[in-house]
Amino acid sequence: MADTPTPLPRRLWDALASLELTLISLALLMALVLLCTLAQTRMGIFGAVQTYMRSFIVWWQVPALPFRLPVFPGGVLVGLMLLFNLTAALIKRFDFTWSKVGLWIVHAGLILLIAGEFSSGAFQVETNMNIEVGQTVNFTESSRDIELTITHTKDPSHDQIYSIPASLLRRSESIAVPGTPITLRVKRYFENATLAMREQTDPPSLATAGVGADVKVVAQPAVVSDSEMNQTSVFLEPVLKGQSFGTWLVSPGLAAPQTFVDEGQTYAMAMQHRRYYLPYSVTLKEFRHDVYAGTDIPKNFSSLVHISHPAKSEERDVLIYMNQPLRYEGRTFYQASYGKEGKLSILQVVQNPGWTLPYISCGIITLGLLLHFGLTLRRSLQQRRAA
Amino acid sequence: MKAPKLFAWVPGLLALVAVLLTLLPQGKTRGFDLAGFARLPVLQGGRVKPLDSVARNSLLMIQGKQSLSFEGRTVGPDEWLLDVLFRSTTADTQPIFVINDPDVLGLMSIQQSANRYFSFATLLPHIAEIEKQAQAAMNLEPAHRTRFQSAILELYQRLIVYHQLANTLQAAGSTGLLAEIQDARNPGSVDLHNDMTRLAYFRPLPPRRNQDADAWLTIGAGLQAHAQGSTHPALAMLGAAGAAYAGGDAQAFNGATATLQELVASQRPEARARASHEFLFNQAEPFYLGMVIYLLALLSLFVSWVWKPERLQPAAYSLLVAGAIVHTAGLISRILLQGRPPVTNLYSSAIFVGWVAVVLGVILERMYRRGFATAVAGAAGFASLIVAHHLAGDGDTMEMMRAVLDSNFWLATHVVTITIGYGGTFLAGAIAIAYTLRKHLVPNLDEKTSQALLDTTYGILCFSLLFSFVGTVLGGIWADQSWGRFWGWDPKENGALLIVLWNALILHARLGIYIEDRGLMAMAIVGNIITSLAWFGVNMLGVGLHSYGFMDKAFWALLVFVLSQLALMGFCLLPARFWVALPQRGEPKK
Repeated sequence: MADTPTPLPRRLWDALASLELTLISLALLMALVLLCTLAQTRMGIFGAVQTYMRSFIVWWQVPALPFRLPVFPGGVLVGLMLLFNLTAALIKRFDFTWSKVGLWIVHAGLILLIAGEFSSGAFQVETNMNIEVGQTVNFTESSRDIELTITHTKDPSHDQIYSIPASLLRRSESIAVPGTPITLRVKRYFENATLAMREQTDPPSLATAGVGADVKVVAQPAVVSDSEMNQTSVFLEPVLKGQSFGTWLVSPGLAAPQTFVDEGQTYAMAMQHRRYYLPYSVTLKEFRHDVYAGTDIPKNFSSLVHISHPAKSEERDVLIYMNQPLRYEGRTFYQASYGKEGKLSILQVVQNPGWTLPYISCGIITLGLLLHFGLTLRRSLQQRRAA
Repeated sequence: MKAPKLFAWVPGLLALVAVLLTLLPQGKTRGFDLAGFARLPVLQGGRVKPLDSVARNSLLMIQGKQSLSFEGRTVGPDEWLLDVLFRSTTADTQPIFVINDPDVLGLMSIQQSANRYFSFATLLPHIAEIEKQAQAAMNLEPAHRTRFQSAILELYQRLIVYHQLANTLQAAGSTGLLAEIQDARNPGSVDLHNDMTRLAYFRPLPPRRNQDADAWLTIGAGLQAHAQGSTHPALAMLGAAGAAYAGGDAQAFNGATATLQELVASQRPEARARASHEFLFNQAEPFYLGMVIYLLALLSLFVSWVWKPERLQPAAYSLLVAGAIVHTAGLISRILLQGRPPVTNLYSSAIFVGWVAVVLGVILERMYRRGFATAVAGAAGFASLIVAHHLAGDGDTMEMMRAVLDSNFWLATHVVTITIGYGGTFLAGAIAIAYTLRKHLVPNLDEKTSQALLDTTYGILCFSLLFSFVGTVLGGIWADQSWGRFWGWDPKENGALLIVLWNALILHARLGIYIEDRGLMAMAIVGNIITSLAWFGVNMLGVGLHSYGFMDKAFWALLVFVLSQLALMGFCLLPARFWVALPQRGEPKK
């Protein structure tokens, strides 16, 4: 029966659990990590991670070709390979011997560690809370995504806010704003732009209404550095029941929202950082910024905040400082930066449902290592005694 | 006792005695008790340190070395600092500003020549132009500066350090601190006091016993307080010391220094103890001496291969142990002085990486007694201390930790563990190099030693994988604690991950017998490249190709290192028939 070829599922299973696949995955992952690190000087950390790590395939856009070429497996694919390989090897080769049990536990912990990275890649949301001393804030802002908001005031006591992500404006020519009779025609979209007052010699602005008529918009390449922001700007023509309200420029570079009025109801349009509203509010009571005596080297930053959660009737003060974040209602608030000579505190707000996974996997791995080395030590001591 | 036994410990002991001799008190220079003055604590860069450290670090920053020759004799850092503080007319004529850039020299219409050192007095007429050019350079990102702009900015910053030092204890070129104390109540002196407070490079007036430990004052603030009727006792003592030093009165200077010491001892005994400890540490230069002893160990071992191995091999080992003792003493000294775990910056990581490699080497040599571990550990210790020496050029190596790093718990766990991982990976690479060279150079190979080298490399790779993995994971936990993500793919994290992956790759490849002895050793040599990139390479990513200065030099050094390791890897991979070309000339092997 030795001539019978191994059935295909069996061969696939062997390949999946093989050490070759481990070696290939590790080598591919090393190459990806190296490429991702080098690319960070061009694309910033976010761009490089999106391209190399959070993708199935690394694409290469050849300037002469109309389509992209797949050139390398991406981080997701390699991660999955490693994950399946580890799991399959664990199932296939598992045999309970004291000399190996520690290593099995270590590898099981590794599976969880990789799964944790997948989880945070998929679910983690990082935002900022910029809050001045004395101010109360009930939302966090994305540091990367920009959205168009339309504030519809039917009567002075009631505002309705609609928001449209900038990515939708980029793709569409016309958008019907749900819940309102408005349709927006996108005349021109700038991923990033600088604004300046229009000189006499400049060509006329696309805008026919609002402050945009006097503004010159110059397209800029999208930012790559992680510390910079795109100033996403757009020329829009709101249309209501077939009637045009002129073309408006909306941009984060404009100080005020652009407002038009229809039958006594006002519509205010603005581009701003994407906001995430919270069911509670945070008040900054005090911000401290200490330096070492006689230097500018920061010694400590801290924000004393008050949390007010009416639904839970919770009112309390919390001190957030370096290496001491606040974990509250599924979000974690970290002291990230400050501005306005110490009047503005910038908190980084992270929402990651899987944040405990690395801790659990580290616990498992530690257990496995201790067991392995403990048992190895015992064996070698026994051997020495026997000798 | 038999002679070979003596060789096992006498050389090491002699080395340690020589080290202890450097700790003996210095004699007086021209009758002045310079050491007594240099021992005085001051507050600079956010921490209390002796004036000796201020002198050494600022001279290192300005001149690139810690002593200068002037008028036919060697001037030490302490004497130089006293001249700057109290006799600026003399200090101004000392050639200490090193200028290598021809364009910077051209700006001052000086032709490039063998003389690279210039005095403050020579540069003074060009200050306005230097400042103008430096301001322009300052507005640019470091990566966009030209070589000239980086050089002029560096010169400008060194001139500022000098200018600040010269205005710390008395206004530069004034008649002295005593006169300033007398004039303190003049309404016109307020501007001078403000200028001195603003310029002060360090704060010399210690807090009183009941005050906050950080409440050190500048002379400007001290003069202001004096004008308002509250006189700091050290003010007049410093004035007296300055007048005596400038006037050449050694006895009066030594008297004033002694009263200053007594004052600090009574008000701030902890600051005085700290400063004395650091003064001794500076004077002993344990890492420099360690480097010398490692070199001696290496040399004796090399000689032992051709002459009297039974004596010189133990002698080399005893020297290695002596070097390790000095290295350890320096490391412990730093830990005590800083009140922090051993690794706080790139400089201290180099010291620690070398220490790990040496300690592992000492243990391995004790196990195998074949000399190779002494060779590898001596070379690793020597190389890492050389690297550290070149990293110290930025000034204070014990600077304060920025807020986010200010956590002794994580410095002690994550940073130490991962640095041990670096050290282990380098040691494995170094042993692999020794294996390669041996195969190519030694005619009659002793198979047992080859096997020992293989076993050791494998064992150390396991050790390194464990430490680099645990260190990386601890780093992830620290990152999650302090800014909310376990893993951010930032260059330093990626570097650490690469080491972990590489070590895992080697061990798994060996496990599946995809590689044999040569493959294992070649991969261990590549580990050197990966570790050096993770350690230094990632720090250069922010630096563009057009940037010059220190990191640029380091970039070429790194490139040379990487190429050398690639060459060694190639040698290692050469098939066995290329090995041991020598036996053909000698006797054929069995």
